[in-house]
Amino acid sequence: MLTFERYEMPATLPEALALWAEAPAGARLVAGATDILPWAREGRAGDVDLPLGIDLSRVAELRGYERHGARVRLGANTVWQDFLDDPRLARWLPVMPYCSVWFADDQIRQQATLAGNLVNASPAADGTPPVLALNGELELCRWAGDHIMCRTMRVEDFVTGPGATRLAPGEIVNSVTLDIAEGYGASFQKAGLRRSLVISVACVAALVKLDETGTRFADVRLALGGVGPVPERLRDIEDRLRGAAVDARLIAEVAEATASRVASRSRVDYRRRVVPGFVRAALEEAADRARVAPSAAERKEAENA
Amino acid sequence: MPEMKLEMQVNGRKVMRLADPGQRLLDFLRDELNLTGTKEGCGAGECGTCSVFVDGKLVKSCLMPVAKAQGAEIQTVEGLAKPGELEAIQKAFHKTGASQCGYCIPGMVMAATSVLREAPEASLDEIKERMGGNICRCTGYSKIIEAVALARDVVTGRASPAVLEPETVGESYIGHNVRRLDAPSKVTGRLKYAGDMVMPDMAHMAVLRSPHAHAEIVSIDTSEAEAMAGVACVITAADVPGTDGFGVFVHDQPVMARGKVRHVGEAVAAVAAEDAATARRALTKIKVEYRDLPGLFDPEDALKPGAPVIHDYAPDNMVKHIPIRKGDIEAGFAAADLILEEAFSTQQVEHAYLEPEAGIAYVDHDDVVTVISPSQNITHHRHMLAGILALPINKVRFIMSPVGGGFGGKEDMIYQGMLALAAMKTHRPVRLVFTREESIAASAKRHPSRVTYRMGLTRDGRITAIRFEMLSDGGAYGMSSEGVMRKAAILSCGPYEIENLWIDTRAVYTNNTPSGAFRTFGGMQAQFATESMMDIAAERLGLDPFEIRRRNMMRAGSLTHTQQRLTSASIDRVLEAAEQASRWEPGAPTMRGPMRGDLGGPGTRAPCTLGARFETPKDSKERVA
Repeated sequence: MLTFERYEMPATLPEALALWAEAPAGARLVAGATDILPWAREGRAGDVDLPLGIDLSRVAELRGYERHGARVRLGANTVWQDFLDDPRLARWLPVMPYCSVWFADDQIRQQATLAGNLVNASPAADGTPPVLALNGELELCRWAGDHIMCRTMRVEDFVTGPGATRLAPGEIVNSVTLDIAEGYGASFQKAGLRRSLVISVACVAALVKLDETGTRFADVRLALGGVGPVPERLRDIEDRLRGAAVDARLIAEVAEATASRVASRSRVDYRRRVVPGFVRAALEEAADRARVAPSAAERKEAENA
Repeated sequence: MPEMKLEMQVNGRKVMRLADPGQRLLDFLRDELNLTGTKEGCGAGECGTCSVFVDGKLVKSCLMPVAKAQGAEIQTVEGLAKPGELEAIQKAFHKTGASQCGYCIPGMVMAATSVLREAPEASLDEIKERMGGNICRCTGYSKIIEAVALARDVVTGRASPAVLEPETVGESYIGHNVRRLDAPSKVTGRLKYAGDMVMPDMAHMAVLRSPHAHAEIVSIDTSEAEAMAGVACVITAADVPGTDGFGVFVHDQPVMARGKVRHVGEAVAAVAAEDAATARRALTKIKVEYRDLPGLFDPEDALKPGAPVIHDYAPDNMVKHIPIRKGDIEAGFAAADLILEEAFSTQQVEHAYLEPEAGIAYVDHDDVVTVISPSQNITHHRHMLAGILALPINKVRFIMSPVGGGFGGKEDMIYQGMLALAAMKTHRPVRLVFTREESIAASAKRHPSRVTYRMGLTRDGRITAIRFEMLSDGGAYGMSSEGVMRKAAILSCGPYEIENLWIDTRAVYTNNTPSGAFRTFGGMQAQFATESMMDIAAERLGLDPFEIRRRNMMRAGSLTHTQQRLTSASIDRVLEAAEQASRWEPGAPTMRGPMRGDLGGPGTRAPCTLGARFETPKDSKERVA
């Protein structure tokens, strides 16, 4: 059972940051609340009485998203269901809907935030691999007495281990900025104990852009989750494939080598068997989808027609 | 507790309460507004019994601090239809028989409503995918999915609303689908389970449970807890006035641990207080001094000479041994061309009914101790409780509340005694609602069993003898072990006529969670072994698996394992139906390998995946991604 001595609902970022800066030891930020409530139960933290909960869901600055050139800046309160319900986000970030559909369930996705999933830093998080593949970057803000100070950090550098991040005391994640990957084909592969409501035993996020002939990899993004203390971007494979012809044998060959990336403490043999299959399936599926994904120019034409 | 002025629109009505903003929306709806159609099955977002709409979006109210719903429009299951009416989706659940225990049903109806609002054209696969956050333990989902598809067809105009009406029944009900009488109360959330009931001046109970598997209780000090503001009473085994002990067969289990604890999760003391949070806080003030005893965690160890003794009355740790002997197995094995020896083991299984154990007890104006609970065995419970309380039977009353799933798991009187004692001590109604974790820790499980099998067969597949030995982990208390072992023995060698057999089933005490009744009552563990043996034998003898079963099956006139003469038997028809339904290709299992034609056809379930919503039906508008 989770109880709070005090529960605050700040409406602006300065208010939230000021509360957080002054917060007593043990205070917690509450974003979607979908992890903190199950945490305070028997077998995990047990009954917890927190001195202060700062609920971020009404902070105006954390809402919405905006495009900046080839990147999109998502407010920290963006929830996982947004990637399924907002056609523009789905088009810009084609890997996110495929990840989202495997993320918890339709209801939890209405509350669970992208930023919360990243800050939680579970090694089995579904959300981190696609964010790594999209060169995700966080904006971390804190209250400096009379103004807001922000710094940016790559998600790859931010997550340092199971449940561990570089979030400094007093900091709040303000936004998550991702590459716009319109025209890429995408895939998300996941093994869990069941379809809904489970974290990943292993997952792979892939994005593929083909050249104008549709036969060569113009760009590849590949990231792996659930198989080590932190999710991992597979840059060596991306480099190897970039410029190469899309070829089942080549995909199988690079996929085979990924078994060695498994650094989990449990179920290593199982994961070593699953991961190469997932990498191959993800690359093939993303390449197939890239073939049918309309380019931005084609979409423009269709819209004007 | 902090307080905040919370204002929202609930089911179309303005609501204002001064309440704790950090409490869950679920608690606010149930405790403040008495909207108990929204259930709590797990409290961790896993089950979906608490699904409600917040500003049109379906969420799990156990995962939402109520402050997040400030100013929002809330719709609960009570708000779907006007009083006395049913929405199409509710009618569809009624029509298809989608509600059984009913505990998941309000959440299911809400999830189905969300599907029809968000994706009215959803395919069957998409319906399943979108409802993935809600679980059911009774129905197997088929009827629920059927109901959603039926409502979808009506809502989208593909089917006439008449399909939601009951089937006309002529002269006989046989051959017709008859709607359940209690379905409307379930699909509207109006049915009150024990945990939904409130009584004036009611106190709330929490239970202190043992962290040890086997330990002597040196002392229990409840004074600090009893002195706490808001605490109505603390009870321990010392409060039992009569002969302490209950059980389905042997009365070996005290209402609360007496002298020693025998498994992790056993009740040691209980607090009744003004609210559940106070009761839980008071538990932390109870001081129990334990002295660890050597524990037994494997049934094999329980049988070893010198093993720790768990119950004084059973120095050999034996709960029950059921032997069955028929014919002469030595002669049977001597006549065999092939002797197979195998060992099988099955694991502990939790029932996981969606309604965690709950109950409410009070002492009425005539001093009748009354317990309302979803007990699967109220008459037996009443008799046992009368002895425990040292009351004549007419001063003990049990009322069976709707059972939100039992499957055998609610046959044991594991908490009703505590409620009765607290009600007697305080003369107030006392309610206890288990958490999901508590339910898993304290309730009986399916027996983990090991079967050692020896089967003799002739070359043509006739079984000449079977020796079947089952050792089951009964856990810390007897519960239904005796009956489970009896059933396991009776069903052991399956529906096959065996001339020579030697069967022993044993359940022994260990310090594991008690084992008890669970659907099939020991049959499952036995059949897993027997049917596996039949397949192994078919493989070894090069026989078709159906054929080897036919050569041994019971027929009218057969003598069962317990030597009952059968006047009829139906396994021949069962085998025929299964053979046809599976489009079975005759032949030995070894001969066909992966080239079988009867795999992967219609009726075979496709691999589990997600993403049905990405498939764009030809006639619908563009979908996301």
